[in-house]
Amino acid sequence: MTEQPMVQMKNLHKYFGENEVLKGIDIDVERSEVVAVIGPSGSGKSTLLRCVNRLEESTEGEIYIEGILLNKQGMKPKEFQKHLNRIRTKVGMVFQQFNLFPHMTVLENVIEAPIHVLKKSRKNAVKFAESLLDKVGMLEKRDAYPKTLSGGQKQRVAIARALAMEPDIMLFDEATSALDPELVGEVLKVMEDLAKEGMTMIVVTHEMDFARRVADRVVFIAEGKIVEQGNPEKIFTEPAEERTKQFLGTFINGFGS
Amino acid sequence: MLDWGTMVHYFPFLLQGAVLTLKISIFALILGFIFGISAALFKLSKNPLLRGAAGFYIWIVRSTPLLVQLFLIYFGLPQLGIDLGSFFSGVLGLALNTGAYNAEAIRGGIISVPSGQMEASRSLGMSSKLAMRRIILPQAMRIALPSLGNNFVILIKDTSLVSTITLVELTLTAQRLIGSTYKPFEMYLMAAFLYAILTTATSLILGRVEKRMAY
Repeated sequence: MTEQPMVQMKNLHKYFGENEVLKGIDIDVERSEVVAVIGPSGSGKSTLLRCVNRLEESTEGEIYIEGILLNKQGMKPKEFQKHLNRIRTKVGMVFQQFNLFPHMTVLENVIEAPIHVLKKSRKNAVKFAESLLDKVGMLEKRDAYPKTLSGGQKQRVAIARALAMEPDIMLFDEATSALDPELVGEVLKVMEDLAKEGMTMIVVTHEMDFARRVADRVVFIAEGKIVEQGNPEKIFTEPAEERTKQFLGTFINGFGS
Repeated sequence: MLDWGTMVHYFPFLLQGAVLTLKISIFALILGFIFGISAALFKLSKNPLLRGAAGFYIWIVRSTPLLVQLFLIYFGLPQLGIDLGSFFSGVLGLALNTGAYNAEAIRGGIISVPSGQMEASRSLGMSSKLAMRRIILPQAMRIALPSLGNNFVILIKDTSLVSTITLVELTLTAQRLIGSTYKPFEMYLMAAFLYAILTTATSLILGRVEKRMAY
């Protein structure tokens, strides 16, 4: 009995106008797998991630979330929106710019969707939210407004907010790229804990060390295509493709020594 | 110089006029707010019909004088068999007028909320309606509030125009009193004073609301 993949992307293409950003991507993500997507900026890796919960509409190809086709054809617009909303509750997303709701406190940010989308009672939502905030080390700040928080704290709240929907898959879109260097660690720590608990994760990142240590598989994308993928150790120490070597080389030259 | 005795004697009459001015203002303000928020949402809607209708409404209000709009409703509509009476004609005319300006203020507020807010909401499974109501509009209102406040103050002052459709509000009360007292300076001065009180109070209240909405 083979379990179906949590996420399946088949021959994914995406155009912005004339510009082809994704040129036929196939990725399967298994349950509890952590996939790190790396690549130069403009390679299409964020677009790929945003296609998975349809913040971007793929031009061609298919995406299955837990076996359910995301881009179903022939549904009425209203039906399709419901279908999307249902799938989106299963797919949590963390953004580079946090996107916390500024007019709500930390706790309100976390309970908003569980109450209004999952129709949880306020009491249950608060209880669960508090346990999540505790987990990301933000329980003390439950009544604070986002503008009083540091970037790292905001991102930890954003992670708790996504987890409050009890998603099966978490997407991280350069979650640490907007952070001051000294705040990156606290967010990566939360992500690593999550990975250890068995969360299925797709992580678009520039943190090569994190990708190497935490990911089960690294996918290297350049110019809208998968150049190479596989075991992190292998990709980082003996990449098969020249393009991968080149990319990892610029990284070492740019950040190392 | 000023005839204080006459002023003291006639002040209660003007106050009565001011009460009607206030009443008209409040009705038009509430209705105008509803028109504004609806037109703003329609103008941002995907449906071209709604978008077109809202665009037409805003265009026609902004490109014609309020006085002519009031005349159309009060004198023109009865010819088509629609007689709203002076009070409702006045309220409707003012509400339609201020609503168009409110729509632009609110639309401006909505489009200046960062797109990441809608994306985050949608990624949590919220419908676009729910996200608009719970996430986008509260932030948009805060951004729009200074312009909306400005519109409210203008609305109060514009109520003086409904004196032309026989509503005995503050301005028409002053005019009538002048007819019997021949004291235009005193009467208009008191009217101006009462308008200033109404508009200043509005500004103060809005200032408070703005502070409370800060986060």
